[in-house]
Amino acid sequence: MSRHIESQSPDMDRILHRETRSSRAVVATAAAALVIGLASYGLLEAAVHAIGQPAWLIEPQVAAERLVALPAGISPLLLGAIGAVLAMIGLVFFLNGILPGHRARHLLGRRSAAGPAVVVDDEVIASALARRARLAANVTPEQVMVVVSQRQVVVNVRPTSGVPVDEDAVLTAVHSELDAMSLEPDPAVHVNVAPSGVIGA
Amino acid sequence: MNSTPTLLNRTLIAVLGLVLLVVGGLLMLLAAVPAVASWWHSWSAGVWAGANDAFNATRFPGRPESWLWILVALALLVLIGLMVAWVAQQGKGRSDVLAVGYDPGEVPGDVRIGGGVAEQALKHALAHRPDLAGATVTTYDVKGTPAVKVRLLPRQGVAPHLLAEEVFALVAALELVVGKNIPVLVHIGAGARTRFSRAERVR
Repeated sequence: MSRHIESQSPDMDRILHRETRSSRAVVATAAAALVIGLASYGLLEAAVHAIGQPAWLIEPQVAAERLVALPAGISPLLLGAIGAVLAMIGLVFFLNGILPGHRARHLLGRRSAAGPAVVVDDEVIASALARRARLAANVTPEQVMVVVSQRQVVVNVRPTSGVPVDEDAVLTAVHSELDAMSLEPDPAVHVNVAPSGVIGA
Repeated sequence: MNSTPTLLNRTLIAVLGLVLLVVGGLLMLLAAVPAVASWWHSWSAGVWAGANDAFNATRFPGRPESWLWILVALALLVLIGLMVAWVAQQGKGRSDVLAVGYDPGEVPGDVRIGGGVAEQALKHALAHRPDLAGATVTTYDVKGTPAVKVRLLPRQGVAPHLLAEEVFALVAALELVVGKNIPVLVHIGAGARTRFSRAERVR
């Protein structure tokens, strides 16, 4: 392959950064829809008022006066509940905007600096590791569970009753598979062999 | 890989969230703390009086309505337009050109290769593999340069690095045919189709 990574590498870094963070497109659309809804109601009332017609739902004058007199005129329980709901929605939006939003994905190490970039879902990594661990432990697929997170891989094995599982062999197998993948960020591996076995597997 | 404005999204969402949070918090405090209620009365009465004066000062000559309402309506219209423009920015960036080149030969004109070439060729090459539950190929326009995204849905237990190696070979062959280096992103993902389908047993 005769590729020149120099010409495309800033682009690729940007693409990879975007691919491993979650997109806010849905939340952004919801936020925009909310603002559009409120603004179009306001627009309707303002337009109706500007041409001197009676208001549709509530006269702006009356609404403002009620707002000024607020703790009066409404039960405090209802007011508090409305406030809590608004604050909750606001918190969801705010955290969506602030938090880093890592996706459950890893980058696959590039063998040559020139190959295409590869992004892998953690679920795919987990199922590949589970298959490898299952072969090393010589158990059925149901007896292995692998959890992959950003910096950690946990392999849970439930041995067949009466057949001991070699923990080191499983660890070595999973390690060799992970080395072949050369993930980024590189996770640490933990193998847990359950103390009780499964009967009749 | 698309050109969704991520920074703009984050900022606007955070600002809207903050505003809602403050309003909600204020309402809760109004309901619970009497001291806040008395502060609110004095503050909001002042603001309301100011707004009233503004409306009274801007009446149409000889009519009771204020032309401030028309300004408010226009401002809201602009706001709605901005929001629509913001939504239209989400998920943009697909393109249908894979390569553009000027041919300095004797024949006039230049060469354009459509994104369909890469999409059809790679899709066809990946279609009948037993270890894949699905594959999609899309061409994007990343800041002016065309780039290809290959999304693969392997069956359970398929080693992603071996799969990626084989896709690299396909991409290299495609580049040989097109005669240009194309930035390629391979996304090996999981979905409902892979989760509930049978595992690949033989490889």
